[in-house]
Amino acid sequence: MPQSIGIVGAGTIGGGIAHLASLARFTVSLYDVNETVILAATSRITAEMKAAADGGKISREEMTEALSRIHARTKLSELAHCEIVIEAVLEDLKIKRDLFRRLDGEVKPETLLATTSSTIPVTSIAAGLKKPERVVGLHFFPPVHRTRLAEVVRGLQSSEDSTSRGREFVERLGKTSVTTKDSPGYVVHRVVSLFYGEALRVLGEGIATAGDIDRIVKDSGGFSAGPFESMDLEGIDAGMALAQAIYDQSFQDPRYRPHPILKRMAEAGILGKKSGRGFFIY
Amino acid sequence: MKASSTKGPKGVSVLLFGDEPLVAEYRRVASSCGYEILSPGETKNLKGAATRASIALELSNVDLAAKKERLVALDKALPETTAILTSSVNVTVLDQSSWVSMRHRLIGIAAFPTLLEKDLVEIAPSVYTLDPAVAVAVRFLGSLKKKAAVVQDRVGMVMPRILCQVINETMFAVQDGTSSPGEIDLAMKLGAGYPLGPLEWGERVGFGQVYATLKALHDDLGEERYRICPLLKEIATTGKFWRDGSK
Repeated sequence: MPQSIGIVGAGTIGGGIAHLASLARFTVSLYDVNETVILAATSRITAEMKAAADGGKISREEMTEALSRIHARTKLSELAHCEIVIEAVLEDLKIKRDLFRRLDGEVKPETLLATTSSTIPVTSIAAGLKKPERVVGLHFFPPVHRTRLAEVVRGLQSSEDSTSRGREFVERLGKTSVTTKDSPGYVVHRVVSLFYGEALRVLGEGIATAGDIDRIVKDSGGFSAGPFESMDLEGIDAGMALAQAIYDQSFQDPRYRPHPILKRMAEAGILGKKSGRGFFIY
Repeated sequence: MKASSTKGPKGVSVLLFGDEPLVAEYRRVASSCGYEILSPGETKNLKGAATRASIALELSNVDLAAKKERLVALDKALPETTAILTSSVNVTVLDQSSWVSMRHRLIGIAAFPTLLEKDLVEIAPSVYTLDPAVAVAVRFLGSLKKKAAVVQDRVGMVMPRILCQVINETMFAVQDGTSSPGEIDLAMKLGAGYPLGPLEWGERVGFGQVYATLKALHDDLGEERYRICPLLKEIATTGKFWRDGSK
């Protein structure tokens, strides 16, 4: 079992993985070009662990030991010893490809390389590397330290061994793993995209209001949250970007066509809870 | 043939027709709330039952020819003031109104397997439905301890339409090998907080019901978006389904 992992990108997802991996006794090299981003991530992780310790979920000793296993890195060469390196940078194919090319030259040949991308195909990221078979997707759901699932994405060139190493890793973090093909939206985002899309069509056709649709989905369907409150919480802009990515990657399959309501709201800056107004007022 | 009946403490009678498992679900809930359930096996035995019924429920979604026949018979047998709650998941109340002479008493209901387990039921009046009939429907559902949500009269209504689309998409994901049926269900429950995996939900609803609703949506809206997954059609037709590779 690997003991040492590297994480590239100390944002929400990268920080969340560092949090869980340090508690799972991995030595974590947390890399970012900007040291302040790493400091912000470690402060966030410390606060989350303190809350867990206050709630009796972990002991103070576990917290102290876990935090001591996270090391700030600002040079990619400092990840050379890692057995797994996980990329969690911006959703931009060029940035990711450049990064993986650099990693390909820095890390050991047997190191597993993983991307946390939710919209860019693993196959595209791995294309052109010396060993594309060692690249898999590890799709986490925010907040990473609290959600229960991770999708392990098998790219067109990912090997069986890499896929099973990816599964072992996320399961050691306490997640349930589900293996998926490298298809647009994998499983969860693909199905949720239809769920949101259909709710938007029902709204667009004037069959019911957003509030009534949410109430029906919860009180008749038994869902814990309605589609519109969920879209508001996740961000209308993020939802629009995800819907557009799935639509484009499926070569404009009409099932995934984003709804004009979402596009108009995103353009108007009506972005959901974070902007104070979405389908509902906050 | 005499109408079968279950006497309830209130002595108020409900005339019940439709597809299984819907009839069983409504019978169970209405009986537990004290209603007398009248279920004539054939429409020709309606007369006696119709004079005793306070409300009639027609809960068919799949065989629309049989549904039409029953509604026509109900319309003839029931007193003019008795409201008819009719499933309008696969055919609108407006379309059903053209089958009967007393269209003012028809109210649509989202009668769809598994949805009566929760607290809220969608109803849809047509443009012809009069307010007293809507009030009767709301009071009846209230007596079953259910809230009513009034929606526009459209094929699929709200929850059946969204649910069937989710099940259809999940079936496409199984068909193209995105993941295994068991893992997809698990992913949707853990990753999206769904109360049931879409495939196990489809099994509980019955894939024949899901197929009928998707076909009605496709016919009504005429969009490629509502194209039915061939695997779903195969399962709805043959009744065979596999999980994780085993038939």
